[in-house]
Order: sequence, then C-alpha cells, then structure tokens
Amino acid sequence: MTGPFDSDIQEEAAEDVAPVLLRMTAPLREAFVIPYHDLGPRTAAPRMALVAGLHGNEINGVFVLSRLANYLAGVAAGRYPAQQLRERLLIVPAVNVLGLNLRTREWPFDKTDLNRMFPGYDAGETTQRIANAVMELTRHAHYRVDIHSSNEDFEELPHVRLYDASDEERATAWKFHLPAVIERRANKLFSVTMANAWSYHGGENFVVQAGRAGGIQAEHCETLFKALVTLLGEIGILSGVEIASDEDTHYFGLDQTFPLISEKAGFFVSKKTVGSWLLAGAVIGSVYAGFSGKLIETVKAPVAGMLSGLRRQPLLYEGDLLARIQTRHPVKQRVETYLSGQGQ
Amino acid sequence: MRIQRDTVLELRLPYCENLHIGRTVFDGGPGPRVAVVSGIHGDEIEGLYLTHRIAAYLEELERTQPNALLGKVEIYPAVNPLGIDTMTRSVPPYGSDLNRQFPGHSRGLFPQRIAAAIVAAVRGAALVVDVHASNIYLREIPQVRIANEFADTLVPLAQTMNLDVVWVHGAMTVLEATLAHSVNDIQTPCLVVEMGVGMRVTPAFTEQVLLGLLHTWRRLGVLDPRLELPALTHAPLVADDGNVQYLNAETSGLFLPEIEHWSGVAAGQCLGRIVSPHHGRTLSEVRSPTDGVLFTLREFPLVHEGSLMARIVAAAPR
Repeated sequence: MTGPFDSDIQEEAAEDVAPVLLRMTAPLREAFVIPYHDLGPRTAAPRMALVAGLHGNEINGVFVLSRLANYLAGVAAGRYPAQQLRERLLIVPAVNVLGLNLRTREWPFDKTDLNRMFPGYDAGETTQRIANAVMELTRHAHYRVDIHSSNEDFEELPHVRLYDASDEERATAWKFHLPAVIERRANKLFSVTMANAWSYHGGENFVVQAGRAGGIQAEHCETLFKALVTLLGEIGILSGVEIASDEDTHYFGLDQTFPLISEKAGFFVSKKTVGSWLLAGAVIGSVYAGFSGKLIETVKAPVAGMLSGLRRQPLLYEGDLLARIQTRHPVKQRVETYLSGQGQ
Repeated sequence: MRIQRDTVLELRLPYCENLHIGRTVFDGGPGPRVAVVSGIHGDEIEGLYLTHRIAAYLEELERTQPNALLGKVEIYPAVNPLGIDTMTRSVPPYGSDLNRQFPGHSRGLFPQRIAAAIVAAVRGAALVVDVHASNIYLREIPQVRIANEFADTLVPLAQTMNLDVVWVHGAMTVLEATLAHSVNDIQTPCLVVEMGVGMRVTPAFTEQVLLGLLHTWRRLGVLDPRLELPALTHAPLVADDGNVQYLNAETSGLFLPEIEHWSGVAAGQCLGRIVSPHHGRTLSEVRSPTDGVLFTLREFPLVHEGSLMARIVAAAPR
C-alpha cells in the first residue's frame, strides 16, 4: 500500500534553509548545527513539538520525523487538498546530529548521554547548552513528544510511555492509536531527562518507544508515522485526517508490567513478535549453552499478557532482560525496581 | 592477621566465561571493619594503585607489627572488572554507568546485581571509601565529595584523610543512585575520594591518600592507636556550592593552560589560552573570575564550546 509514509512525493526542505536550534563551534571541523522544521502558521506559539534523536543510534524516530516533515511540507504545498495544517508545529528529527552520523547513543565529543543533561544550562557543559537550547525551543508548545527506540539489544512495540501522568495526558495518549499505552512511575535517574524537564513547563508530555536502536524497522516506522498523523488530526493541528477507532489500543496502568529477567547465560533465540498476546506458560524462546549448544532453558511466560518488548540480542548474560509482558491485572513486581535506569 | 581473597559475586557470561568480583580481606581481629572500593568506572585506575599500596602496607605490617591491625580492612580493587579490562567507563556491553545503579537489586539487571552485591558486602562497615579518578578530561587534586545531607557525619571523618579539598555539594536526585548515597542511606559512612585523572596513576596522590586512610583507620580503632604514622601533610580547604567557580570554554579549540594545577590564582589572571590548530591566532584567553585556588584543571587539550577547563575554590564566597 502506498500512503503518506511511503509516498514518492518529495518536498524541498533543504538543511541550509531550515531554522537552526543551535550553532556551535568545533575545534577542527566546521561549526555544527542542529536544524529543525517550523511548520504551519507562525502567528502563534507552537502547539506541538516532536523531538527524536537525543540518542544517535535510535534511528526509527529520526526517520519517521523526517518523513513526517516531508509529508507536512506537502500538505502546506497543497498536495493533499483535503488536509490543512491549522496550527504551528516544531519537528526536531535529531538533536544528537553527530551521534547519528557516527551511530553512537551518546554525544560523541565527550561521551555524555544527552538525555541525562536536562534541563540544561546555557553557560554549562556542551551537552547542557544543547539541552538548554532544546528546552528553550520546545517549552512553549502545549503537546511535546520525545521519541526513542530502546537500545540495540531490545525491541519495543510502538507505544506511548507515560510517567507520573496527568488525567489530560492519559486522555491524549489514546489519541496516538498506538497498540499500547503504558504507565510507569518516574525514576530518580529520569529526573534529568528531557521529558521530565518538560513536565515543569505544564502542557502534555509523552515518551514514545518504537522498535530497536541501531537500525530501522519499517513496520514499526509506518505504525509510528500513522500514529503521529492521527494524533495531529485528533488534536486539531492537522484537519482532514481520517481517524481510526481506538479499539486496537490497550491501556496498561502502573503495576501492569512484568519484566522477565534471565537467570541463565548463553544464546537466547525467540521467534515471537512484539505485540502478540501470550497465555501464562506460553513459550517465548530458548536459551542454549554457549559452548556445548545444549538447550538449557525453555523460556515461558510466567504471566498472561501482551508482549510489549523482546530481547533481540542473542548473547545472553545472567541478569539480562528477556521480555516485558503487559498484564491485564496488576502484578506484584514493581518494574521500576528491576529496571532502574533502563530505557530512554 | 589473616589475609583472604574471595569472590563477592559471580555472574555467567554468554560463552564459557564468568565474571568474578573479588576482594582481599585483611583480618586482624574483632575491631571495626573498613572497606576501600575502586574501579566502579573502568577507565579510572588511580584506585587500583591505592589498593595495591594498602595491601603492601598491611602485608609489611603483618611482618613487622602483626598485632597492630585490630579490625578488618577489605579492598575491592575492581568492582567493574569488564570495564577495567576494556578501559571502559561504563559496564560493558551495557553502556550503563555502574555508579547510577545503586542500591541495585539481586534479581535485577546485570549491572544492578553488581551494585546489590557491593552494597551487601560493605554494609555495616565503620567507613567505606569509594575511590574515583575524575575522567580522562580533567585532573583533580585529592579531594572528597560529600552530599549536604550527610555532611554532619562525613565532614569530621574527612578531616584526617590528608586531602586538599572537602567539597560539600547540594542534592542532585541522580546522585541518589550512587554507591556513596546508597550506603550512607543505610548508616554505613561512605566518603567519595576523587584524585588524579582517568586512565593514569599519580603515585604522589596515592601516597597522600594512603597516609590519610591510615590516620583515619587508627582514629576509628581499626589500627592500634599506638601505631606510629608519619604526620599528616595536608589539611583540606572546604568548598561548597557558594565558593566553587566553574570555567567553561567560550569557544572550541586547543586549551593550553599557563598555570600549574593546585596553585593560587588572582581575579583577572590569565590561566590559559584556547588556540586554533588552523591558524596562529588565540581564540580565547581564559581568565580567573576570582581570587582562589585552582583544584580542577583540564588534562585533555581539545575543548568544545562549554567544555569544563578548570574549577576554582574562591578565596571568598561568590
């Protein structure tokens, strides 16, 4: 199927004319810039800010946001007559520009994690200055979305992640029409993330997880692209969007996440796909001894639920996360205790 | 004195190998127990040399004064052994900073299991010293860093550590996930010592801190109070959030300091220059904003806009 996501219509939005979030000198290379898209009528403050690529190896979000910017430029150019961009929208496909080019999660110059430098400081370290610039650009928007792709070992079902959510955020989270909305408690390590810094500026803030770092998973990208277009339609930024029903979205509150952690080491192999529903006892995968090749464990689901995340890295350490299962009812485990600091 | 090496945690790796976190225990009797932890960050080697020097001192003590150790000294040279093996700050292959995983969980993720095992091992000690070596970019004078909320307990302990600076800093939520915060929280006093620079060893700093440790252990009753030690050679300046000045690079280039580390500076004094490798001009002159003492100095010459070049303890509060 050809849709806006895989449309062959190309819009001109050259980097050299795009507005710049920040321009900084470098010791030897040319000054580096962080460009962004400023779309829709500029007569008011931005209604929404979409940000990806805080981590340079999380490519899905960067790709989807660049495709979305191209699509919305097409809307502005009248290529989709039924649609109109009614409010202003900011899109930053990649904050960590050099990290993306070098495929590194961290800011390459000093190896710091950009998403641990918020809210930033304009006279501080390089990454604090970048964080500050991102905050200055995005803090006036009412809706803010931070897109991530787990890490290179783990695949995430595209979903909205809410931390210490407000009722308004819970209501809006449905409007992404993604397969899942998952609530978690704020973690002390996440106190220095962009999403947490946003929360001090009011509005509605969302973290979206989709796929796995280090590559592009086209199916997840298409799901995410459609979700963002649908959201723009639902909240009135883009008119003329056909809204799907939300019957395929599943909402999981606090304590409805079961982390499955391995007590074995070896090779982990799974044929499951994220988003599938499991009965308690269903086989998720197998662990084989690294040297002998002997099957040492058949990994089974301890609880019934939706598989929202699955390990894709086969080399398995004792204490590695194998899968996350979203349950229909609360479980005793507090996922935050086991996965402290994991994720975006 | 009994000297025993054992393993506090063993975790299986995917192919054939296991990870071992080892320690050496010097047991002189029922007196207080102290611990020195090193190598949480795999690119920080200063602490490994300190644990060697502690071991050498105690082995010599066993030979010359076998009854002078009244309690136990535990050394944990490399609690992030894969990081140490591979000169990696974080825990390979996770990229997780081990010092953001505490108090950990014995059934959690791999780095959390390491954290939980360390906390379990040092819990209840009379003093834990967590030794760090800055990073590869900055050189630090021997100092201890103490969170405000633990200052009443820890500042008196730090006074005899033979350090140059005691830095009492404000609360940062993210630091709650450090070893020091986690064990201080369970009433096990823990001092964070920073000295030197990443990937290097500075023997003079090691000897300075070793002497401080011995004095402190003697005061705590780990060592016989009659044990003769050389006099302390350093008394600390007390720094806090009100008197520490940060100097960040105004532009990018090569930073050439024109001042020695740990020297007095005057307001307006030129501390160094940022120059361009492409041409002969000076891009920026770095001047001290205050009178004081330079206790942090950049070691790695390349700077980007915002890179930290120096920290100064001001002579008077800002």
